[in-house]
Amino acid sequence: MLALVLALALGVTLGLLTNFSVPVAWLTYLGVAVLAAIDACLGGIKASLEETFDDKVFVSGFLTNTLMAAFIVFVGDRIGVRELYLAAVVAFGMRVFENLGDVRRLLFRRWGWE
Amino acid sequence: MGTPARTPSRDKLVHLRDESVKAFQASENLVERSFNQARLVASLAAGLLLVGFLLVAQMRGQATFSGSLERQSDQNLAIIIEQLTAENNVLRSEVARLQMRLLEAGQATEDRARLLNEATKELNAVSVVAGLEAASGPGVVVTIADPERVLLPQDFVRLVHELRGGGAEAIAVNAVRVSATSGFSGGSGRIELDGTTLARGYEVIALGEPGNLTQSLELPGGLKSTLATFPGVTVDLTKSDDLSVPAAAARDFSVGTPVEEAQ
Repeated sequence: MLALVLALALGVTLGLLTNFSVPVAWLTYLGVAVLAAIDACLGGIKASLEETFDDKVFVSGFLTNTLMAAFIVFVGDRIGVRELYLAAVVAFGMRVFENLGDVRRLLFRRWGWE
Repeated sequence: MGTPARTPSRDKLVHLRDESVKAFQASENLVERSFNQARLVASLAAGLLLVGFLLVAQMRGQATFSGSLERQSDQNLAIIIEQLTAENNVLRSEVARLQMRLLEAGQATEDRARLLNEATKELNAVSVVAGLEAASGPGVVVTIADPERVLLPQDFVRLVHELRGGGAEAIAVNAVRVSATSGFSGGSGRIELDGTTLARGYEVIALGEPGNLTQSLELPGGLKSTLATFPGVTVDLTKSDDLSVPAAAARDFSVGTPVEEAQ
C-alpha cells in the first residue's frame, strides 16, 4: 500500500519537475484518458483486495481503457458530436466512484472495522 | 531383535519425507505468492505513477488553456481587441515621437561636430598662417644664389608677396619662419629677417599647392625672370611633396590690444 502511495507521489513529483505540459489541442483527450487511468488503477486495487488481481488483465485494461477513452472523444470531435466526451466522462466517473466505494468497503473488511 | 527396532525408524523416515515435501511445497507456494504480490505492486505502482504524471501535465495544460484567448467570449475578445488597438496606437505615436527626437538629436550632434570641426580647421589654418606652429606639407623650394650681393631686402619682400599671392600658407627663409609680423631689413649686400642675418645662398621654402606656387614665380615677366636679370643671380625652383618649416620665434604683444566689438 505504501509503495502505491509512493508511486503516485513520485509520478506527481516527476510531472512537476519535468515541466511537461499537454498541448492545448490534446487537453480533452488526455483529460478523459486520465479519468480512465484513475478508474483502471482503482479497479486494480479493488481486485488486489479481492485477491483476484491479474497483472495481464490490469495492464491490458489500463492501456485499452485510456486509449479507447481518448479515441471516443476524438471520434466525437470528428463526427460533430462533441458532447460524446460527456458520455465517456459520465461512464468513467461513475466507475471511479463505484470502485472507490468497493475499495473502501474491502479495506474496512480487511481491517475488521465492519 | 532387528524388526521392532526397524519399524519405528522406517515410519520416522516416511514421516520425515512427507514433512519435507510439505515444507517444500509450502515454500514454493510462498515464493509464488510473493512473486505474484511483487507483480501486483509493480504494475499498480507503474499505473499510479503514470496517473500522477499525466494528472500534473493535464493540470498545467489546463492552466495554460484557461489563460488563453480561446476561452474568452466574443464580447470579451472584442473588448480585448479594442484595448490592444488603442494601446498599439499610443505606442505607435510614441515611437514616431521618439524617432523625431532621435533625428533632432542626431542633427544637433552633427551640427555641433561640424562646428567643432570647422573651428579646429580654422585654428590650424590660423596657426599655420600666423607661424605659431611648425608646419609641413607639399610646396616648393626656391634656391637663390647671389654671389655678387646685388639683392636687396625688398627683393625678398616681393618674393614673399609673390609666394603668398600663389597661395603659400607658410614660408621660411634659411629656416627662419616668415610670420605676419616679420620684416626684411639690411643693406649693402646684407639681408636680415627679424634681426637674423641670412647666410649667403638663400633657400626659401614655401608650403602650398606646388603647381600654383611655381606658376606665380615663373610667369612671363614674373619674379624669377626679373631676378635672373641681376648679374650673377640664379633662381632654382624645386617642387616637393614633403617639406617642413619651423615655428616663428615667440613674440610678446605688449602695445596692441584687441578692440572688443560692440555686439
